[in-house]
Amino acid sequence: MTPPSDATCQAPRASPLDKQVVASARSVILVGNPNVGKSVLFGALTGKYVTVSNYPGTTVEVTRGTATLDGEPWHVMDTPGTNNLTPMSEDEQVTRDILMKERGYVCVQVCDAKNLRRGLLLTSQLAEAGVPFALALNMADEARSRGFHIDVAQLKEALGIEVVPTVAVERKGVAQLSAGLGAARRSTFTPRYDDAIEAALAEVESLLPPKGGLNRRAVAMMALVGDDSLREHLAANVPEAELARLEDARRRLAARYPESLRFVVSRQRLAAVDRLHDAVVTRSRVSAASTFARKLGGWSTDRLLGLPILALVLFVAYEFVGVLGAKTAVDFLENAVFYDRLVPWTEALVRWAVPWKAAQEFLVGPAGVPFREHAGFIIGKYGLFSMGLSYGIAIVLPIVTTFFIAFSILEDSGYLPRLAVMVNRIFKSMGLNGKAVLPMVLGLGCDTMATMTARIMETRKERVIVTLLLALGVPCSAQVAVILAMVSGLPATATAWFVGSVVATLLLVGWLAAKVLPGRGSDFILELPPLRVPQAGNVAVKTLARIEWYLREALPLFILGTLILYVLDRVHGIAMLERAAAPVVVGLLQLPKEAAVAFILGFLRRDYAAAGLFMQYEPFMKAGTLTRSMEIELVVALTTITLFIPCIANFFMILKERGWKTGVWIAAFILPFSLAVGTGVNLLMRWLY
Amino acid sequence: MPAIVKRTERCPLCGTEFDAEGQGCRPSCPMSAGCKVVCCPSCNYSFPQETGLAGRLRAFLDRRRTHP
Repeated sequence: MTPPSDATCQAPRASPLDKQVVASARSVILVGNPNVGKSVLFGALTGKYVTVSNYPGTTVEVTRGTATLDGEPWHVMDTPGTNNLTPMSEDEQVTRDILMKERGYVCVQVCDAKNLRRGLLLTSQLAEAGVPFALALNMADEARSRGFHIDVAQLKEALGIEVVPTVAVERKGVAQLSAGLGAARRSTFTPRYDDAIEAALAEVESLLPPKGGLNRRAVAMMALVGDDSLREHLAANVPEAELARLEDARRRLAARYPESLRFVVSRQRLAAVDRLHDAVVTRSRVSAASTFARKLGGWSTDRLLGLPILALVLFVAYEFVGVLGAKTAVDFLENAVFYDRLVPWTEALVRWAVPWKAAQEFLVGPAGVPFREHAGFIIGKYGLFSMGLSYGIAIVLPIVTTFFIAFSILEDSGYLPRLAVMVNRIFKSMGLNGKAVLPMVLGLGCDTMATMTARIMETRKERVIVTLLLALGVPCSAQVAVILAMVSGLPATATAWFVGSVVATLLLVGWLAAKVLPGRGSDFILELPPLRVPQAGNVAVKTLARIEWYLREALPLFILGTLILYVLDRVHGIAMLERAAAPVVVGLLQLPKEAAVAFILGFLRRDYAAAGLFMQYEPFMKAGTLTRSMEIELVVALTTITLFIPCIANFFMILKERGWKTGVWIAAFILPFSLAVGTGVNLLMRWLY
Repeated sequence: MPAIVKRTERCPLCGTEFDAEGQGCRPSCPMSAGCKVVCCPSCNYSFPQETGLAGRLRAFLDRRRTHP
């Protein structure tokens, strides 16, 4: 740390670990979760004379300064925000390393009083690590105004340390906090774990040397949960034979639980924190509501209760997107707005603005002929306006808008990470670990971005499996929306056939890929925010942002796709394509020959292909006259398109991220495989449905 | 190049606040030009930045919240 300006020591700026111990100067380290006001408190303590430098070997900035607190000079260090002393990120590792390697310091934990539970989770770890510290309940005014009443005296007694409500931006409570720093002490609050963990902790503690600012129990816990960032430290300080004993103890303990040790420890620690939280937070009406939200949050990730909640969420989303979006909104936009008004108005405008008859016919077709029966460039069967824009705006836009609203509600309510937890269990059965869940969930937004995020997987095996599964069967948001729209017109049994086929294929391929490809798994923990009632304003803004993104990305490709169709139509290429694909499309899949074009253009955008199918069957769905054969066709087409080769953007990303060989292998596998699954579903349905 | 606005974003999935600069779509994506989707450096969740109309709506709602 940087010494005070009046002290004598040598350039510590670039190396915070080589601190010179200065007589009469003590050190205080500010720690806390991200965004709780640490930096504001740092400024209130130190004034403006601070130094900012990267922590050695990282790009993480650490701020240091000096302060006179209660008449004494102090070094003050502000650390990166952290949620956990067992680090999950570079920021968290820097904070943990500072606490572990510094000597003779005291800490101030800055906690957001509005989110005491999250803060107490870190408090419990500082207490467990034997760090002398004081707790600043920052933003205490906001917490009060939101109905939180924290019994500070009881919290102080339970923790055995100084607890001071502060409002750092107004410097309220800062003087009281500073005055108590000299007497900062170790907390008496120590979470107890189950007997197996406590026994393993005792065994590992005895193998570790005393080291730095964190006690043996804390380091033993990090070693037990398999903290990789600790490996170098352990290798340097623990003899090889004892390292082997440590690893043995860790393996024995890990074998007792189905979940990772990191998860088990976090869960048990959280239980202790919850008890303390409930004892010190007064149950006002607001907090009673938050208690219910916490219970609901717990149920939503429960093995048994989580499933019906998940089913309910999916059902509501399906009704909202499939009925309101795909039926009511599409019907209104497609017919009342587009075909009844915009198409005739545009046609009239063109005829008025372009005086030459030949040009008129080229652009909007001959007068008096319905547009679906001529080849006008703007208004026509494959017209840029009558087909390209109507696909994009009248059909897909209302469907994705309702889907984006549903997705934004899930996001703003805090249910999305819980959905990830539930899906995690399914992916584990495929040989994937929790980290794979995020790319999969992200794939429901955009497969291209999700393919990129497969980088977070630690092994090549995992990266290839995730990329394959994303390309094979995780539909993007726009495609999910169109799929929801199409299955809303199908009977429940046909829908079950479709969902069952895709899910079974994903499970089978994931399981086989995990068996065939060598490699090892890794852990994943996601902090779950509290559940809350979604804010209408937030949902509106998030939805609008996604719609803007969708229009910017999808509409140009819809126009391009329509342009390709227009050109193909003029050179009789569509008929040629249909004939060439007929043995597979008509012969194997038993679909109408027109479906071939939908499959090929699906390479531009998958939702474009799905929208084409939707248009084909929409009149029958609306009239309720879908025949059994049509229902089978729809299920087969949807299944094949969902599993079909990824869109062009995703394909390029696969080539870039996984290399051209893997990319070509993935595409070469998916193309015949999706057709084979489609054929299998067709045969089975015609036999059993 | 991605059309990312330099500002602090909060991840809707994990709550991490991060500097959006450098967190946009990668150039390897053929749709990256003008794309305003950012990736959370902590959990990799991707979401579009609230700019344009959405940004204006956000600013309006924030103003109403501050001065009801």
